[in-house]
Amino acid sequence: MSEMLIKNATVYDPINSVNGDLMDVAVRNGKIVDSVGNSAQIIDAGGRLVYPGGVDAHTHIAGSKVNIGRVMRPEDSRLGIKARTKLTRPYTGYTVPNVYAMGYRYAEMGYTTAFEAAIPILKARHTHEELEEIPIIDKGGLTLFGSNWMVMDAIRENDQDRLAAYVAWGLLASRGWGVKIVNPGGGEAWGFGKNVSGLDDTVPNFEVTPRQIIRNLAEVNEKMNLPHSIHLHCNNLGKPGNYETTLASFDICKDIKASRDRQALHVTHVQFNAWGGNHWGDMESKSDAIADYLNKNDFLTIDMGQLIFGSATTMTADGPVQYANARLLKSRWSNGDVELEDSSGVTPLEYHAQNYVNGIMWAIGLELALLTKDPWQVLMTTDHPNGGPYVNYPQVMTLLMSKKKREEAMSKIAEKTFERTSIAGIDRELDWYDIAIKTRAAHAKVLGIVENGKGHLGVGADADIAIYDIKPDQTDATTEYNRVEAAFRRSAYTIKGGVVVAKDGEITATPMGRTYWVRTKVDNGGYDRMMEDLKLKFRNYYSVNMANYMVQDEYVEHPVVVDTEYK
Amino acid sequence: MQTVTLVPKEQFKISVEGEKISPDNFAGKSADEIGALVAYEGNTPRPLSELFDIKVDGSAETADDVKIEINGNVPRVKRIGESMTGGRILITGDVDMRCGAKMRGGIITIKGNADSWVGQEMTGGEINVQGNAAFYVGAGYRGEPCGMRGGKITVFGNANDFVGEHMCGGEIVIKGNAGIMPGLSNKGGKIVIEGNTTMPGSEMIKGTIIVKGTVENMMPVYQREGIEAVDGVEFTKYVGDVVVGGKGELFVK
Repeated sequence: MSEMLIKNATVYDPINSVNGDLMDVAVRNGKIVDSVGNSAQIIDAGGRLVYPGGVDAHTHIAGSKVNIGRVMRPEDSRLGIKARTKLTRPYTGYTVPNVYAMGYRYAEMGYTTAFEAAIPILKARHTHEELEEIPIIDKGGLTLFGSNWMVMDAIRENDQDRLAAYVAWGLLASRGWGVKIVNPGGGEAWGFGKNVSGLDDTVPNFEVTPRQIIRNLAEVNEKMNLPHSIHLHCNNLGKPGNYETTLASFDICKDIKASRDRQALHVTHVQFNAWGGNHWGDMESKSDAIADYLNKNDFLTIDMGQLIFGSATTMTADGPVQYANARLLKSRWSNGDVELEDSSGVTPLEYHAQNYVNGIMWAIGLELALLTKDPWQVLMTTDHPNGGPYVNYPQVMTLLMSKKKREEAMSKIAEKTFERTSIAGIDRELDWYDIAIKTRAAHAKVLGIVENGKGHLGVGADADIAIYDIKPDQTDATTEYNRVEAAFRRSAYTIKGGVVVAKDGEITATPMGRTYWVRTKVDNGGYDRMMEDLKLKFRNYYSVNMANYMVQDEYVEHPVVVDTEYK
Repeated sequence: MQTVTLVPKEQFKISVEGEKISPDNFAGKSADEIGALVAYEGNTPRPLSELFDIKVDGSAETADDVKIEINGNVPRVKRIGESMTGGRILITGDVDMRCGAKMRGGIITIKGNADSWVGQEMTGGEINVQGNAAFYVGAGYRGEPCGMRGGKITVFGNANDFVGEHMCGGEIVIKGNAGIMPGLSNKGGKIVIEGNTTMPGSEMIKGTIIVKGTVENMMPVYQREGIEAVDGVEFTKYVGDVVVGGKGELFVK
């Protein structure tokens, strides 16, 4: 029986409404408990800042597209090199680190959970093989359904039972946690060199529209009682004027009733989807319109997708947008056709502060977080590594906390940016409690893993704890942002499941994390109809056999299965 | 002035990562201190004193006043003079890959032959190779969009393929012949080849390539601009690579 007591902790635990109380945190066998005995290991926090372990609800840390990024960017592997030690394997890479550095670097920042945001079912085995090699952190993945033949067939025939059966089967086959929709319909259209330009554009050969895909998957998601809502990457990403499509996509799910205590719709990396104007020349920020919508409606949440200046590797199931990026920037480009499921693309790029388009993108991410009143509605992400690598989270945290830091950053950004954005006029500065929401509590709530003991420090929760070298009562983040950023970069202690995994930013233990996935029971006839159709699809179109397709238990060595039922 | 003499104790069979051998690391250090610097031989960290006999004369405050002499052949020691900012290195024999990579100043003289990637991504300083150079003289390493950015490399013998690949600035002079595709994807800088070469300037966006010998095979992606004199000698001037919208200048005899 291992026990630990963290004394004199200044705790911010928004899920349990703990706001900077000086208290002790007791841990037994990897879980938070009320009290422990005298023999417990004692860590004296000395009044320092204690958060629940960080949770990242949207990141790209494993799978074939990450690996393609690694293959495509040998120069990236030359950055961030750290030699192996007796405990840790070598680190390499900045935007696409090797699998070991993925886990180590999250842990060094006090993060203990991260969810891979896009798993094509066909590539799920590879994804899980990589996830199983990422040390320390707990993981999960969202499975792609937005351009899937089986999904679109079922929607065209208006057969939600069959759709639910397929989604349940897809989550099982990929050991996935939720329904991810990327540029609905567009991935399939891209297979024919086309794209969909709006919500009511018909997908070639399937006679369904993106609107129908989003609506049906959202309805089925709630009927299946999944822990997470649908996770939507909107159509027209990366095109000036796309905010109208984004707002219209929000509206599709306005009357969906969530089956659990969470949002009915999560829209991801909205920074890339909040652009006004008609072309690059008159592009402007429309984050005010998005934030206004969020302030009036509480059924949805979004994440920032904050841009970080410097190198990034964009990777998405949105194939057409990557082709456009590569042509525009004369960059390297890789494209994948995921057979009957989706497409994908990888393009490295560089964000420049002196480029006003990049400047506007930088501003939009921050505006979304600052103009939306309810901190629970906007998660802090960089859409790693699309907007920038996750190691820059501390920078984003301090940008949100300090107007002075934003002004300092703005002095280096192209002036034209500020005619097209409102960032310069925003005075709001987030506090320690807001940051705890934006980096852990809201992520756990949005993903639906609070009841699995994530994102909070209530009794029974996992003992995932981050202690930072900051005394909140003596630290003014609005002016001492450099010190705060440094403290967030290297946690004083990261505790994962009751084990100290990092101390002063150095890894001290490397336990393996768990992988979360959902199993849904569907038994009202839809399943048989679906399997018949699916077998036919495998026989006629897939390049692999069904038996060689599904992820088996051997690929997920540390599973946590959540069971639900379709009604 | 500080003179450091290194004599290899044996002919290394396994590659030695020699990035510690630079005036910046040696400045002001005694022979013992230099000997304690660690270099990887394969995957084994070894102090330099195990690999070389080290002698130090005089002392220096900055890298600019340091002269390093490597007496002997070191064809298995890589990355000598990496990121150096000043001073001199003299190598009396052959040297392994990436000699003078990312160097910013100073002079490296190689009396023997240099292996591939000599002067990789260098931004300043000077490298003289008195023998031959292998592949990728002054190029960028794999995936790097910019190779050599400044400084000068002179090869007195021949150079192998891909001289100045992805070059963005600086100057490369090859006194002998060069292999295929010098200046591949270059975006600036100047390459002078006094001997013969094949297919120069493919995918050149900006920059200058002058071939004084024979071009055995010309890429069909250049537009002829007429006759122009360079330093009093008449060349045929071409502009391209037109396929990538390049504005590079290629002078051929």
